[in-house]
Amino acid sequence: MKFTLNWLKNYIDTGDLTPEQLSDELTMLGLEVDSVTPLFQDLAALKTGLVVSRENHPDADKLSLCQVQIGEETHQIVCGAPNVREGLCVVVALPGAVLPGNFKIGKSKIRGVQSFGMICSERELGLSNEHDGIMELPEGTRHGQSFIDSMELSDICVDVDLTPNRPDCASVIGVARELASVVKNPLSLPVSGATIPTNSSQFSVEILNPDLCPRYAGKLIRKVKIGPSPWWLRKLLISVGQRPINNVVDITNFVMLEFGQPLHAFDFDNLDGGKIIVRTPRENELKFSTLDETERNLDPEMLMICDGKQPVAVAGVMGGLNSEVSPETTTVLLESACFNPVSVRKTARKLNLSTDASYRFERGVDPEGTINALNRAAQLICELAGGEIVDDGIDCYPGKVEVPAITLSVDRTNTLLGLELTSKQVSALLESIGILCAASDNNSLIVTIPSFRVDIEREADLVEEVARLYGYNNIPTTLPAVNLSYPEQDPSRLKRLAICKKLTTLGYTEAINYSFIADKHIAMLGIQEGDKRFASLPLLNPLSEDQAVMRTSLLPGLLENVKRNINFQRPAVKLFELGKVFFPQGENEQPVEENRLAGVLSGNLYGEGAPLYYKHTPVDIFDAKGCVEFIIAEMNLGKVSVDCELHFRVPEAGQGDVYASEGYSLDLFYNDTKVGSLGSLKNEVLRTFAIKNKVYYFDLDFDALCGLQTKNIKFSSLPVYPSVKRDIALVVGEQVSAGQLLTAVQTSNDQLIEKSEIFDVFQGEKIPAGYKSVALTITYRSQSKTLTEKNVEKSHSKIVRMLTEKFGGSFRNA
Amino acid sequence: MLFLTVYTFAYDMEKELEKLEAEAKEFLSNLEETSQIEDFRVRFLGRKGQFSTIMRSLGSVPAEDKPRLGQLANTIKAEIEQLFEEKTKDLQSQSAHLGKKNLPDLTLPGRRPAQGTLHPVTQVMQETCSIFESLGFSVAEGPDVEVDYYNFEALNIPAHHPARDMHDTFYVSDSVLLRTHTSPMQARVMEAQDPPLRVIAPGKVYRCDSDITHTPMFHQVEGVLVDKNISFADLKGILTVFTQKMFEKDLPLRFRPSFFPFTEPSAEVDIACVMCNGVGCRVCKKTGWLEILGSGMIDPEVFKMVGYDPKVYSGFAFGLGIERIAMLKYGIDDIRLFYENDQRFLSQF
Repeated sequence: MKFTLNWLKNYIDTGDLTPEQLSDELTMLGLEVDSVTPLFQDLAALKTGLVVSRENHPDADKLSLCQVQIGEETHQIVCGAPNVREGLCVVVALPGAVLPGNFKIGKSKIRGVQSFGMICSERELGLSNEHDGIMELPEGTRHGQSFIDSMELSDICVDVDLTPNRPDCASVIGVARELASVVKNPLSLPVSGATIPTNSSQFSVEILNPDLCPRYAGKLIRKVKIGPSPWWLRKLLISVGQRPINNVVDITNFVMLEFGQPLHAFDFDNLDGGKIIVRTPRENELKFSTLDETERNLDPEMLMICDGKQPVAVAGVMGGLNSEVSPETTTVLLESACFNPVSVRKTARKLNLSTDASYRFERGVDPEGTINALNRAAQLICELAGGEIVDDGIDCYPGKVEVPAITLSVDRTNTLLGLELTSKQVSALLESIGILCAASDNNSLIVTIPSFRVDIEREADLVEEVARLYGYNNIPTTLPAVNLSYPEQDPSRLKRLAICKKLTTLGYTEAINYSFIADKHIAMLGIQEGDKRFASLPLLNPLSEDQAVMRTSLLPGLLENVKRNINFQRPAVKLFELGKVFFPQGENEQPVEENRLAGVLSGNLYGEGAPLYYKHTPVDIFDAKGCVEFIIAEMNLGKVSVDCELHFRVPEAGQGDVYASEGYSLDLFYNDTKVGSLGSLKNEVLRTFAIKNKVYYFDLDFDALCGLQTKNIKFSSLPVYPSVKRDIALVVGEQVSAGQLLTAVQTSNDQLIEKSEIFDVFQGEKIPAGYKSVALTITYRSQSKTLTEKNVEKSHSKIVRMLTEKFGGSFRNA
Repeated sequence: MLFLTVYTFAYDMEKELEKLEAEAKEFLSNLEETSQIEDFRVRFLGRKGQFSTIMRSLGSVPAEDKPRLGQLANTIKAEIEQLFEEKTKDLQSQSAHLGKKNLPDLTLPGRRPAQGTLHPVTQVMQETCSIFESLGFSVAEGPDVEVDYYNFEALNIPAHHPARDMHDTFYVSDSVLLRTHTSPMQARVMEAQDPPLRVIAPGKVYRCDSDITHTPMFHQVEGVLVDKNISFADLKGILTVFTQKMFEKDLPLRFRPSFFPFTEPSAEVDIACVMCNGVGCRVCKKTGWLEILGSGMIDPEVFKMVGYDPKVYSGFAFGLGIERIAMLKYGIDDIRLFYENDQRFLSQF
């Protein structure tokens, strides 16, 4: 909502408030001021001038050679406008001036004749679209003056960001009323308390849908001369960003901005039968052309204003082309009405047409302000467009409701606000904005709500008014007196936070990606139908194709991040994300939301670690596996191994993740449920993401991991007797996995074995093709004695024998 | 090895002392490394050193020789001790001068493994949550994909209410949408729990809007406190504590009337612009104030919908934007940076 300070001052004396103070006061009343802008500053360099002589340009038929007096000086200016003539007062841009649109004026030669500046049209000044001639200033305007001062253009525009509950302030009078509570000055209104005592017989109004149109009033004005509005009116409209059209239309717009009541003017001669019928359209009336020359498809629920024959306006939204006021119009039917907010909103939505009128009707206009605005506009049309009012007009008001008074408890107000006001203080506050109060008892007030405050319906609404008028910043600041209680926290959230923090210590940086991805991302990963992640939940109104569906995997987002970071020359990328993925359920149902924890690794293992100590080492799949092991350990989920519920499985050929290179993917299982996987991304997948480097990933079902029983920490006493370590180097077929060897050792049931570890895997020289050398260290310890050489040898040789027998290996001498 | 020699003749004792003196002097003259100092001390001067051994055997010499021999032993020991002290000082000052060539260059960087960082949104979210947790709020989370009822209806925003214009909503079907704020958690928490309660609800929210100050996804923290006799003054108190902990102690703030259909009275909270200290700049649009959160007393309609009696209970709710706070805290000027996951950006926090 925009208004200018000079306009506002027509209704309220704002005393000595500066524009900044005034804007602060409004903001603190809840009318947030978005901007305070001095107007027409770009026209500050322009001067008024008097054309003292005009003759034809010697070399051009349509150009005039003018001598223009500007104060003491006279300038020769070439002008192409047909209306330039001797004695005319004009606006001159002298060399050096800059017109709106960064149009610089200089000295020039036009067809051989020197021209010192330019005489301006309204369009050149940015005041209107008028460009048929130069702007004519009123006769007697003094020359040599600043144009904006001389035409009283200096003003300040204030733009208020209105909240939806305050349609009453979508008007200059509404803003003035709010300020009245601050400056304590009376409002001065152009019209108030107007009524239509007798209905006109010159036309008729019939409302067929009174629920959608509680009130419809009209007034007939004859002998209207359509033409441009006077300067003061055009100036005001331009100042608040409206485009002047003609006097009648400008007056309806002006009164709407003044009172907040949208008005419409029909060309009465185009209304069939002199009738107004408010109704919904018939089957054959579903095409309708609005004033903006657009044909629109109506729907049978939309409320229309019709004449005796057909629709002539979309009620509360926009008039029709068929009844528009044109330059030939002489009789105007002025409409001032009240429409159902929901109905107007639905219609405006469906037509995708939001107007100043629909904005106000959707939020609610003052049902008792209808006639005031109607009369104000009618008077102005008589004054400014030479009209004659025929009679009082018609007021059809089937929806009149008595607004019930509200009882306001002063105690309750004080409790809710933390104040100690007396009922007298409360009444004084409310009455400062025209809300009348009567005391019912010591503690209660009977409050009458003025009709323009459509937002006040309950006691709570009044408490808000009291708070607002008292001033939020005058209310004390206290801490609630509540009973202590221990805030129970969601354990899975705490686990999320903890693991994220831990991962950063491993050199991983946390990423957060949008929850939506491109539909094509699923295909880029090669995910096929039958995979849970194939079907995603699409948005009905996505912002772009790249953000069209809810993600079913964290990997696409992370891979886009990898690409970006590699493009910006990062030597290493180690990112993780812990976030939700979404799996659609039925139609109109919320999807299942699951938390996953995924990470991507690429480039140097040591990242930005000092190269002095950390030689460049490319990451590989074991870094991804190590990270998963770290996560499991940090989540205190116990051991990950084949003999445990939580274990890794090497997938059968062709059964690994579809986006992983064959043989480079590993699954994490809890019993027989897959709870995650890791691997190396296929080159063709990386290519679709335009990544040239190798990328490893892990992707875990975080909710599943959170649901697992954590291991209770139980102290075991420190060993008393020393351990003995023995190494074995075995040459086995290359198909034998390290895991198999370790499992065999671990499951051998030898009580003395404390630990077994692989410390070397080797292929090549000295090892026959198809074989590899695997070296293990086994730690032996007894809980009851110091082991002798003999004890260890007995166990160790048994293990060596078992391994060589089981895996057909040979014991290798290093 | 500990051994005791028994001297039967003073003569032997005297000889032993002379021998020891010569031995000690020779050792000292050959002493070149600071590391040998301790060896010398242990061998000659320590509790189990050779001088101590001789002294202990004084007991076994004839009584008439005792004073003389004792004095002699003490004199020699004192001399050796003095020489030792001089030598030690000498060596230590030498090594300070000469030893540099063998010492590490301590200006080299420490051997520190590369470390990652938490996303700034997570950091600010965490800080926000912990301030409220310290005030006794528990934390609840809800679905990102919400039903119309919780996102709007239960918050007193019926269909066709103009307040819906304040929310550019992403829809997945007629009645299912991406939540446009964390406020649905107000209704969900109150439905599930009887008063009194104190809960915050952090999470992702979505609006179909994208430019330098808007991303289609961002983060909010919602807060609700319901009890008997809770007032607007209490709302001011809690939010003042929060802002002062999050920013700085004496940061001015103001409460400004606003409108949310689910609170009444509603207030927006502004802090003095942290960029220009309230003087007025581009960031605060020359007002000197920055809006950081919306709040209000819970509307009785909302209470009725979740079955709370508004005559018995009152409470307040608030919602704050995490990105906004992070941007003000760290001076970030483009919200889109949060979701590019550029390590050059992320590593700064």
